[in-house]
Amino acid sequence: MISESELVAMIALLESEPLRRWIDLGWVLPQQDNATFYFDDSDVVRVQLICELHYELQIEEDSLSVVLSLMDQLYTARRSLREVLGAIEAQPAEVQSCIGALIKSRRAEQAADISTS
Amino acid sequence: MADPYEALGVTRTATQDDIKKAYRRLAKKSHPDLHPGDKAAEARFKEIASAYDIVGDDKKRTRFDSGEIDSSGSERPPQPDQETYREHAESHPGFKYSRQWNGSGPSDDDLFAELFGAHQRMRARGSDVRYAVSVDFVEAIVGGRRRFVLPDGKALEITIPAGLKEGQTLRLRAQGEPGFGGAAAGDALVEIHINPHPTFRREGTTIRSIVPVTVAEAMAGAKVPVVTVSGEVQLTVPRGSNSGTVLRLRGKGVPSKTGHGDHLIELRVILPSHPDDEFVQTITQWEANHPYNPREMAGQKS
Repeated sequence: MISESELVAMIALLESEPLRRWIDLGWVLPQQDNATFYFDDSDVVRVQLICELHYELQIEEDSLSVVLSLMDQLYTARRSLREVLGAIEAQPAEVQSCIGALIKSRRAEQAADISTS
Repeated sequence: MADPYEALGVTRTATQDDIKKAYRRLAKKSHPDLHPGDKAAEARFKEIASAYDIVGDDKKRTRFDSGEIDSSGSERPPQPDQETYREHAESHPGFKYSRQWNGSGPSDDDLFAELFGAHQRMRARGSDVRYAVSVDFVEAIVGGRRRFVLPDGKALEITIPAGLKEGQTLRLRAQGEPGFGGAAAGDALVEIHINPHPTFRREGTTIRSIVPVTVAEAMAGAKVPVVTVSGEVQLTVPRGSNSGTVLRLRGKGVPSKTGHGDHLIELRVILPSHPDDEFVQTITQWEANHPYNPREMAGQKS
């Protein structure tokens, strides 16, 4: 955990004012102790990424809120998917191959639907 | 390492501003944090980043153009220890931004709500199974507990309630198909048919039967043993009874909520099976002295 001033010192492009705004917007979720914010590792990398997208790639804040929202959904879906895959891996081999065959045949069906429509 | 100008898709004469724009455009397309799991995007981004590292900087660009450094001359120190956002988001347990983000902050619902929500909906009570069994006449009236082996091989212990009606269906809780997803099993619906009885008939809560008596028993009166659903009783046949006389055994019928019904016994006078001279003579003589016309008595023309 690092403090707000440590974070601002650590990231070259970062200034306090936009950081506060991002916290208000819910883009960054630091721990709050009285009026002081504390940032953990995931907050740090998140602020780094926001800085990169905003200052280097010039993604405006309006667009950035959409980008972050989609990004959070993407990572959430990937984490969930990985949990599902982990659960499938823990199944007996025949269950795994059943699931694999099912996905394969569904995909083939969908491909056939697309080509006939 | 490719030529940095080529990597950024710009000419060697491009302005610093053009290079910056080209970098931003390409970096947005392949930023690895925005393309998790896409190795090609990651490789592309590295190339763009190191190209921009050289030609995006005025001084380095001059050194590169003069051949002082080559395309691998990125002086940005390697940062192997620095964690990227995607590494965090993908592998840190309990990553706090790993929730659906709805603009006003994170909310709790995720893919699993959908996935296992669907399973929740698939929780279904097992179906009911219908069976039909038959019970004996007396058993249906007095009730009791009996084990039935059903057509599907299932054995069920069924309590037959006293006074059960023909075709009545008993519901046996949780004896049907098993439930899905932890839901309750279905019920067994057992329709009960009552086998006919050789001597008893049932009319609602009344039982009827015919009891044969002799001429003397009917005429002189007698006590005769008769069978009821609740066992044998001594029936008092009053003097002067006849074929068709109905006697009531109160409370010997079918039990119901409003109390027991009655058993109605119809007497049937039975003559001896073989005509016997003594009997024929006596009766004929008696009839001659006491003529009577039973058809007239029954309202029929003689």
